[in-house]
Amino acid sequence: MLSLLLQVAAFAQNVTVSAGANVTVTGTVRSASDNTPLIGVSISVSGTNRGTTTNVDGKYSLSVSRDAVLVFSFLGHVTQQVPVDGRTNINIQLQPGGSDLAEVVVTTALGIKKQQKTLGYAVQEVSGETMAKTKTATALSALTGKVAGLNINNTTDLFRNPGISLRGRSPLIVIDGIPDPDADPYKLNADDIESISVLKGTAAGALYGAMGVNGAILYTTKKGGRGKLVVEVNSSTMFQPGYTVVPEVQTVYGGGDQGKYAYVNGSGGGTEGGGWIWGPKLDQRDPSTPSGFYETTQYDSPIDPNTGQRIKTPWVSRGRNNIRNFFRTGLLSTNSVSASIGSEKGSFRVSASHIFQKGVVPNTELNNSSFSIGGNYRLSPRLTMDAKLTYNREYSDNYPTVGYGPPNYLYNLILWIGPDIDIRDLENYWIPGREGLQQRNYNLSWYNNPHFVANELLNGYKRNNSFGQVTFDYEIANNFTVKFRNGFNQYSTNSELREPNSYVAYDYISRGNYSTDVANYFDINSDLILNYNHQFGKAFKINVTAGGANNYRRYESAYTTTDGLTIPGFYAISNSINPLKGSNLLRERRTASAYGMLDIETFGFLYLSLTGRYDKTSTLPIKNNAYFYPSAGVSAVLSDVLTLPKAISFLKLRGSWAKVNTGFINDNNPYAHIFTYNIGAKWNNVPSLGVPSQFISPDLVPETVLSGEYGIAAGFFQNRLNVDVTYFRNKDYNNFQPVTLSQASGYGSIQKNANVYLRKGWEFMLSGTPVRNKDFKWDAAINFSSIHRWLKESTDNSDGYLGLVKEGQRTDRIYITESRAPDGQAIYNSNGMQAYTPIGQYFGHSDADWIYGVQNTFKYKDFSLSFSIDGRLGGLIYSTTNQKMWWGGTAKGTVTSYRDDANAGQNTYVGPGVVVTGGSVEYDAHGNITSDTRKFAPNTTAVNYISFMQTTSGGMLNNYHYYSGTYLKMREVVLTYNLPERWVKGKFSSASVSLIGNNLFILSKIPNVDPDAESDNLQTPSMRSLGFNINLKF
Amino acid sequence: MKRHTLLFLLLVAAFASCKKFEDFQINPNNPTIADPSLLLPAIERTAFSTISADAALASRYLVYTQSVSNSQYYGWQRSGMGYGNISQVVKMEQEAARTGKKNYRYIGKFLTSYFIVGMTQTFGDIPYSKMMQSIRFNNVTDTAAIRPAYDRQQDVYRGVLDELKIASDSLSAAELAVTGDLVYAGDIEKWKKLVNSFTLRVLMSLSKKEGEASLNIQQRFSDIVSNPTKYPLLASNADNGRLPYYDITGNQYPYFNNNSMKTDYYLDSTFVDILQELQDPRLFVFGKPTPSSNLPANDFDAYDGLRGSASLAQNTAKRGAGNASQINDRYSYQATNEPSVLMSYAELQFILAEAVVRGWITGDADTYYENGIRASLEFSNFNNTYETADINDYLARPVVALQPGNEIRQIITQKYISMFMNTGWQPFYEQRRTGFPAFDVTGSGILNGGVVPKRWMYPNDEFLNNRVNVESAVKSQYPGGDDINGVMWILQ
Repeated sequence: MLSLLLQVAAFAQNVTVSAGANVTVTGTVRSASDNTPLIGVSISVSGTNRGTTTNVDGKYSLSVSRDAVLVFSFLGHVTQQVPVDGRTNINIQLQPGGSDLAEVVVTTALGIKKQQKTLGYAVQEVSGETMAKTKTATALSALTGKVAGLNINNTTDLFRNPGISLRGRSPLIVIDGIPDPDADPYKLNADDIESISVLKGTAAGALYGAMGVNGAILYTTKKGGRGKLVVEVNSSTMFQPGYTVVPEVQTVYGGGDQGKYAYVNGSGGGTEGGGWIWGPKLDQRDPSTPSGFYETTQYDSPIDPNTGQRIKTPWVSRGRNNIRNFFRTGLLSTNSVSASIGSEKGSFRVSASHIFQKGVVPNTELNNSSFSIGGNYRLSPRLTMDAKLTYNREYSDNYPTVGYGPPNYLYNLILWIGPDIDIRDLENYWIPGREGLQQRNYNLSWYNNPHFVANELLNGYKRNNSFGQVTFDYEIANNFTVKFRNGFNQYSTNSELREPNSYVAYDYISRGNYSTDVANYFDINSDLILNYNHQFGKAFKINVTAGGANNYRRYESAYTTTDGLTIPGFYAISNSINPLKGSNLLRERRTASAYGMLDIETFGFLYLSLTGRYDKTSTLPIKNNAYFYPSAGVSAVLSDVLTLPKAISFLKLRGSWAKVNTGFINDNNPYAHIFTYNIGAKWNNVPSLGVPSQFISPDLVPETVLSGEYGIAAGFFQNRLNVDVTYFRNKDYNNFQPVTLSQASGYGSIQKNANVYLRKGWEFMLSGTPVRNKDFKWDAAINFSSIHRWLKESTDNSDGYLGLVKEGQRTDRIYITESRAPDGQAIYNSNGMQAYTPIGQYFGHSDADWIYGVQNTFKYKDFSLSFSIDGRLGGLIYSTTNQKMWWGGTAKGTVTSYRDDANAGQNTYVGPGVVVTGGSVEYDAHGNITSDTRKFAPNTTAVNYISFMQTTSGGMLNNYHYYSGTYLKMREVVLTYNLPERWVKGKFSSASVSLIGNNLFILSKIPNVDPDAESDNLQTPSMRSLGFNINLKF
Repeated sequence: MKRHTLLFLLLVAAFASCKKFEDFQINPNNPTIADPSLLLPAIERTAFSTISADAALASRYLVYTQSVSNSQYYGWQRSGMGYGNISQVVKMEQEAARTGKKNYRYIGKFLTSYFIVGMTQTFGDIPYSKMMQSIRFNNVTDTAAIRPAYDRQQDVYRGVLDELKIASDSLSAAELAVTGDLVYAGDIEKWKKLVNSFTLRVLMSLSKKEGEASLNIQQRFSDIVSNPTKYPLLASNADNGRLPYYDITGNQYPYFNNNSMKTDYYLDSTFVDILQELQDPRLFVFGKPTPSSNLPANDFDAYDGLRGSASLAQNTAKRGAGNASQINDRYSYQATNEPSVLMSYAELQFILAEAVVRGWITGDADTYYENGIRASLEFSNFNNTYETADINDYLARPVVALQPGNEIRQIITQKYISMFMNTGWQPFYEQRRTGFPAFDVTGSGILNGGVVPKRWMYPNDEFLNNRVNVESAVKSQYPGGDDINGVMWILQ
């Protein structure tokens, strides 16, 4: 029976009408604990809206297709999925308890559905339902904390992709069986998602070949089912009324340097203090001035018409609320509608959605619209067709620039505007009479007025995505099928930048510029898959899959920019002062593949799966461009053969091994194996070429991952408590890596196959139902995981080092050159400033020790409350925001008496640490200390506090701005009320209202920034989202 | 069955529409062969871009006020090597051989020599005779190729001098034309002048090794000077080896609109003192009056500097009080300002003057000296800030005229003034060789034990990629290890 089950399950994603005539299935559902009939068990046909419930005798009757999958669900019992398999009578026993590990069917590579218990590798499936109500900008973000081993780094910035790593690498994204190499997380409408299946290991992704070497995330979208028309409306509105984390700046001192400031002309030099926020103390009483406060000339001081000189104005903290006064309340509004209907012959579903996001930065927004239509049809008794097409459009007239630098409003707002300036006054951002030509700001050499940036420096972006697939299934014989699937992804983008006159960047003040970057992308994947299954006697079943695939992709882009604008503010390519600059690109890549899979089941508990794939790719030299990779997985469901203690309801051991090759040197450059000239810049319109410093070996062979994965899954107390533990060990060798040479050889490095790394990690999942009774149910799930990477072998260096990293060490080591004594104290030079070592010294690790997530759902009658907490433990995160705040003078910690002393011209600050009084230290080339005869004494050199901070950023006071990445975040809270049936009867089939809170609070060790993104290069303040969701089904 | 045929056809169509794998083995975005004229411009840009604020800080022209600068306070450690530039030259020479354009080869010899001299002046011994084997012979496996041995500094210099002679002897206007030349627009005669003049610079930099028989410095020097037909020299500012700037984004003066140059660079007081003492009108084009001064810009007393060795706090306080002269606005507000000079006619004249004083050649030191000063003043006369009469007045000043016994100091001082914000680290090396002008190290901010460093440490990548050779080079040269105060052979 199981082999048949496997066979049918293999095509379950297309099952609804795929093969054979309908059968009427009848049966009885009983409780597994006492064998009594269960009344009111809901039975639905997977992937459809059809279904029925059991009667008072526990009996049911339902007309379905031969290969449908029935889903039996009943409150307080484990939901069970059972393939019909042509049977007319199916009697079921439902286990009391939470999710059942024994019968869960999951989507695996190539979209093949398999029972989870047969798998030798880890797959975790997340239902679309889980995400429907947690409204985030992308469906991907909703996975945060929910999957062991999957680390999603949510950025606080608008319209930036969340970072995603699965076991430390970037996984393949697959939508309805079609790989999506570009993995744009914005293109998929979250309300269209039926389920997400995360294939964690190399073995799990082996059938995807090189693309799946890092595992895969498979999205399965919703399909129409047979039955009456179903219309679903989902609407949510989220506001961002407050801050989860916002930089706290000092409001005691204003702009300037060494406690002095006098505005002259905005050039920043001389008495304007070079653009620092190390100026005079604010709000200082001075009875000698008209205002009673200390006064100096400022950018908005009036000019005396008689002398032409500026009249001094009071130096007061009028900008103490600049950050809050600049930002506005953000908004995320999501509306979607879908309709589906089906008949005996086929079904279809259409959906439309629109997401509008209003950024917290003025004049920033994002629109995202999706339309999809999909369906299936039985063309002949043995031939079915399934197709889906989605169109998506992302468009923004302006979204903020991020990262440390002049185009980022935060650079100008948090770091380089003192509290002496009121941001609201800068809303008039043109100098009167010079509108369109010269921005108005207090410093015109270094900085931009944040309102000027928000309203005039415009990043426009438009992207049209279309993607879809057509699949034919043909049943040659009852146990022999063929599938032909063609899928494509296409997008075109147009990015524009409008740069106004007088915009300031490093070494650059704009004469106005306009640039456009247009790109076109297309890929097509074709798969032909044959499947055959057979049973030999009672205890041996096989299922054979064989296929061929072709993958082709093409990317073209063209970039054009003006060099200055003749007519200010007229943003057109034709308006350039100097000749236009531009470049274009064409990238094509092809992979042809053949693959096969053999599944064997023996003795009713032992499952073996073997796969093999052969790829030929255009991204390697012809002589080495074809390669093979095998995988094997084994699963033993011990609870099916052994008599175990009563408390253990389920026990499975699994293991899998895979060797996967990849011929993709650089995902973005299919020509990375070809040595060419670089195209250089033009000088006075004379073109130039250059030789790359990296030579490319003509003997490149594919890169290889050798992976082993071992796991145990157990259910206790009728599966009220489930545990799943995975350990994996990946050996990466023949890596495409630059091997450095002495640059005197003529090349700085050679791209070749080199070095061996190990990636090892643990994943733990614990889930269960602590409380369950008639009206109340509490489900909880915890997961935590760790992954690290070690250098195992430095193949081209006989001394066992790769750079500063030694064989056996982790590769995420952080090195700093600030000189420290053996006890960690800072070492100072004779000038009282931090000393430096000639070579980096080990300082810590950047990877998290663990990441974790906790989900809880409480259901009481028609209410449900769920919340999700996640975070990380350990690892260091470098914070640019904090470093720059200490450097520039806006950090709260700089408000000290030393600062007052420095303002008064006194050198009173003694950096904490030591000086070297004698002896010396020697380092080898890897930074190891080979001899150390140094003697230390406490540092006693008093220096100017301001000079000290300008030179050191107070690094030694703040762990050199590497902060612990440990945090705990209240990711989301959702309270849902399902309107009672009696209220909605006749109007809706169901209706619910939810209150949602996202990103509610965080406990962390890093100040001023949100560690969620796991990096900080001047990030947007982290906002709290609150809102509601309405879901109606007709 | 018809339907199934259709399906089959669809399938065939899907697979058949693909390009062959061989078709993807050409990168459509980048070329693999090129005319040498396409490689020359980028090399020239690198070689002739000599404007460096760090060099100006280390040479006590400027003071930096944003934070403690290692160049200004002599706290530096390592420098980088520039072999990547020579790789470009090698590739240009290969393309020149392929196309039969010989002059590129000899321009290449000059450029390689220039890069090599820059490196040996920085470190001491460097790889020379065994360098570039990987790119020359596509040899990326032999240890001798990928980890080249180091040559002694004297051997490097001998090799460079021989190569420069070959370049000068072989450059020929009769050969195929040089195009893509940003410096001399293909004028081979001017290239010869630059090669010969640069050779004189290299020889003068070896003045402490006058007696080194293997180099034969004086003879080489006089061979060139005594045969102007065969070995022409730079004859005026029009011959300067320089790169002009253009008002095109990316082609502008390197500090144009530079935020720091607008706010954080001030004249060094020792430099201001020299100019004030000489009443040198170049002060008006190098700096701008202090904010607190109400004097006109052409009054020498309107200027004051910060002290390069003083603490950052002392300097920022003086600046905050409005008592320091910033560098002239033209360095950050003018898109083209002045060209970047690899070697000027003025420098050549000062070299010739020094050679006369040292007795290497015969001639009139005063004439060479005055020619150099006049050419420098003319070169720096931005916006005609001063008149020809001012230049004549300046030359007539007794304090300017060469005084017996002080010639070397005066010549080097004038050369020093002429190299403000130009000619790279040359003024620093001249000071290292001659001691003129004295660099102030007495302030409280000074690092390195109050000593001006003599060199830079070798880059760490050499210790990682070529350890045996670099360690043996350190051992044979510097008893104190790879130290910035080590004294290299040319300075011994």
